Amino acid sequence: MMITKNLNEDELTVKIAGRLETVTAPKLEEEFKTCLRGVKTLIMNLENLEYISSAGLRVLFSAQKTMNKQGKMIVRNVNEDVMEVFEVTGSVDVLTIVND
Amino acid sequence: MIYLKLALTALCPVFATVCLYFLYQKTELGRWKARHKQLFYGCVFGIVSVFCSEFGTPAYGVIINVRDAAPLCAGLIFGSPAGILAGIIGGVERWFAVLWGAGVYTRLACSLSTVIAGFFGAVLRKWMFDNKKPAWYYGFAIGLVMEVLHMLMIFFTNMGDVHRAFTFVKTCSAPMMLANAVSVMLSLMAVSFIGKEKLQVQSEYKKLSQTFSRWLLFVVIAAFSVTSIFIYLLQTSFSVSEREALLALNIEDVKADIEDASDENLLKLTYGVADDINAAMTVDNNLLLEIREKPGNDFSEINIINESGIIIYSTTNEYIGFDMSSGEQSGDFLVLLNGEQEFVQSYQPLSKDGITYMKYAGAALKDGGFVQVGYNAERFRQDIDKQVIGVTRNRHIGESGCMIVSTDDWNIVSDPYGNEGKNLKVTDIWIDTEKMQENVRYRSSVYGEDSYLMYAVAEGYYIIAAMPVKEVLFSRDLSVYVTLFMEILVFVILFAMVYFLIKKLVVENIHKINRTLGEITGGNLNVSVNVRTNEEFVSLSDDINSTVMTLKGYIAEAAARIDKELEVAKIIQSSTLPGIFPPYPDRSDFDIFATMDTAKEVGGDFYDFYLLDENRLAFLIADVSGKGITAAMFMMKAKTLLKSYAEKETDVAGILTETNRALCEGNEAEMFVTCFMGILNLESYTLTFANAGHNPPLIRQRDGAFKYLVFRPGFVLGEMEQIRYRIGEIPFAPGDEIYLYTDGVTEATNSSIELYGNDRLLEVLNTACGRSAEEVCRIVKNDVDRFVGEAPQFDDITMLHLRLLPKNRITVIPTMESITRVMAFVEHTLESFHVPGKVMVKMNIAVDEIFSNIVRYSGAGEAKVECRVGQKEITVIFTDDGCPYDPTGKPDPDTTALAEERDSGGMGIFIVKSFMDSVEYSYRDEKNILILKKQFVPCPK
Repeated sequence: MMITKNLNEDELTVKIAGRLETVTAPKLEEEFKTCLRGVKTLIMNLENLEYISSAGLRVLFSAQKTMNKQGKMIVRNVNEDVMEVFEVTGSVDVLTIVND
Repeated sequence: MIYLKLALTALCPVFATVCLYFLYQKTELGRWKARHKQLFYGCVFGIVSVFCSEFGTPAYGVIINVRDAAPLCAGLIFGSPAGILAGIIGGVERWFAVLWGAGVYTRLACSLSTVIAGFFGAVLRKWMFDNKKPAWYYGFAIGLVMEVLHMLMIFFTNMGDVHRAFTFVKTCSAPMMLANAVSVMLSLMAVSFIGKEKLQVQSEYKKLSQTFSRWLLFVVIAAFSVTSIFIYLLQTSFSVSEREALLALNIEDVKADIEDASDENLLKLTYGVADDINAAMTVDNNLLLEIREKPGNDFSEINIINESGIIIYSTTNEYIGFDMSSGEQSGDFLVLLNGEQEFVQSYQPLSKDGITYMKYAGAALKDGGFVQVGYNAERFRQDIDKQVIGVTRNRHIGESGCMIVSTDDWNIVSDPYGNEGKNLKVTDIWIDTEKMQENVRYRSSVYGEDSYLMYAVAEGYYIIAAMPVKEVLFSRDLSVYVTLFMEILVFVILFAMVYFLIKKLVVENIHKINRTLGEITGGNLNVSVNVRTNEEFVSLSDDINSTVMTLKGYIAEAAARIDKELEVAKIIQSSTLPGIFPPYPDRSDFDIFATMDTAKEVGGDFYDFYLLDENRLAFLIADVSGKGITAAMFMMKAKTLLKSYAEKETDVAGILTETNRALCEGNEAEMFVTCFMGILNLESYTLTFANAGHNPPLIRQRDGAFKYLVFRPGFVLGEMEQIRYRIGEIPFAPGDEIYLYTDGVTEATNSSIELYGNDRLLEVLNTACGRSAEEVCRIVKNDVDRFVGEAPQFDDITMLHLRLLPKNRITVIPTMESITRVMAFVEHTLESFHVPGKVMVKMNIAVDEIFSNIVRYSGAGEAKVECRVGQKEITVIFTDDGCPYDPTGKPDPDTTALAEERDSGGMGIFIVKSFMDSVEYSYRDEKNILILKKQFVPCPK
């Protein structure tokens, strides 16, 4: 998994490529601990995310909870497979997903 | 004494037969060439014949012998050539035996009949008894007939001297016939006794020809007796009456001769008297006395009768005045008054007193009236005795008959033996004149010879004609004998004819038909009966043929129906066997294939396999005894029972034991099944098996070569209720293979009647190591087909191959680091099976969720992940030795909760459940087992 961050004022765009799973999720979680400070808009670009497991979801939910306090989080470019996971888990109701 | 000797010689052929028979059975002789044996037998019996001939028994002037018995015995018992040879030896010897004293008279007859005896025996054996020894009673009859022929030969070779021939025959026929017949009979009896064999196979039923012969015998004997009696009576009465006529004729002759002689004499004297009277001047009584006293006039009385028929002058005074017409005897003379010149009267009593016998003659006198001259008895006799002797003495009646003449006081006047003057007593003849009439045949002894007699009285003489009874009856006896013999011969010929005709026309044809019928019964309906000798058999043949044709039609129809039914049965049968391969497309851990090639008929082979659970595969092969519908039905029963017990019982021996018990119940058809059954544990890699009398399977372990599984099989299923089967167990690791087959494989037969055999099977299997189950079966089948070639397939060829594939599994210590390895293992597997990306993603997620759970929560020291990819399904099995935990039992998370409220626990398994087609948890052997299954449509390669 590769995480690419792009902070533009208070808008942080995080691009995740690869797989977000049990093994990789802690890495993202670690990133969020530090990089979310002062961020008002978090844009999760999942364009290159292959798939996501419940561990990944947990990280996303945790980020959503943080952002709910300090601004908003937008999930973008969700591919089919990931979308399927979101739909199955009801994440679509929790996350703000915007597909181009 | 005579008969004792005859009996002893008659025993010679019997003795020879017994000796030769013993030699034949106990010594080298039995192994001689047939030709040499016949020569030997022929010589021995020839010598016996000669011996019997030379030691014949003289009796009543003829020699009685048993020469013919030996050739007959040789021919009948030891073979035709031996008989002929013996006959010739005996015959030739008899011909030359004349040189050293044998009778010339019967030379030809005896020689010929001995030769004929040999041929007779030979021919009968060959044509009548089918080269087998006849029964003793036939022997008796044959001996008898042979001697009859012999007797007839004596007649026919001596036609010029029938009397002598007849004497011979009459004397020797009975003893010779009996002796020869008994000799042949005893020989046959002896042989049958020694050989302890039935000479002619006696069936419970009479042979056709025997029945005919028997009836023929009855009829012929009846006819034969009637004709014999008739001929006897006819010939007797004919001979007697003929002889009677001869006697009468002779008497008549003699009588006439005597009368003629006396008439002539008296007439001559009468004419002399008449002349004297005519010449005399005066006629008176004195003249008559003068004339009577003249020398040469030895008569006793002269009377002169006038024209009125009254005696006017007489040498006897008291006659004067007698009226000649007053008596019959005297009245006869009155013809002389009516123009007759002379009259002679036979010697008879006078009219006057009826007692005095006189003979008179008369001659007419010149001056009317006639003179009558009379002899008294004494004078008359003196006059003619000499002439009587002349006419009778040399007279013969027939061959040995004679005439005797005596006076009325029984003094013999003439007789062939010169007893004249003696009383008739010396001749033994006895006549009772009061009871016996003249010219009537009677029987009395004449000089000791029983004779027919007849007497007549003429001129005071008793003329007796005699003929011996023997001579009278000779011709009768001759014809009776000849007829008897001829009839016997005729019967024999008839008998033989009937026998042959029946044999030829009926029995042989019946046998022919029977043979064909036998062939038809044997199943060859294409032959036809073809006996066309006569109408009845033609019609019988045609009837049988048309019956067979009709039958053939029915059979073909039935066969077609049965074929159709069998076809259906075959389809049903094969449809009950697992026929879709691969049977478990999602199982990549084993490879199983089975095939059954049924022979033409429905057979009793079957195979079966089923997963008892995820890790236990049961498989079996079986062969029901017999073929056809019953075998197929029994097979269905066995198959069903095996499967139902497989589901209940845990071990394979128990399955067979229970199945056997169930099959034995009500197994009326006495059928049985051989069966090899195995249960392969795919988890523990062990194979347990049991064998109920089936061929040992071939097994290949640890990359070695195939070999036959050595395990003592139990008894077949369905025969004995109390059998308990033993269980066998061997390790069976991935890569190991087992090949099951029925005897249809090893006993496949090629056109040279060679069996395919265990060795060929082993060899071909070893060329197919490591191939897929289907390929292995195909390779073996091809090899069997190649071996069998064009030969027909008699048995089902059934085989099952099971191969345990190496497992696709990873074993790890469940740590966070191991997750990557497990993920990579599964992904790699799926990729190699070209599983589509979308499915891979889901599988990845699922594996991640499940395995991370194990890592985090199970506390297991070891976890295994197995990944199988079937044709349509992916199976991932997680096994860990952690504490029991069933993730599927967790309640689904609330997917509608806000992010803040979300508990990420349970989310993972929920995703898995959503993405997978099945998630199964079990806890076995202290292990958590979770199986994920996911269907997919493979990518085109």
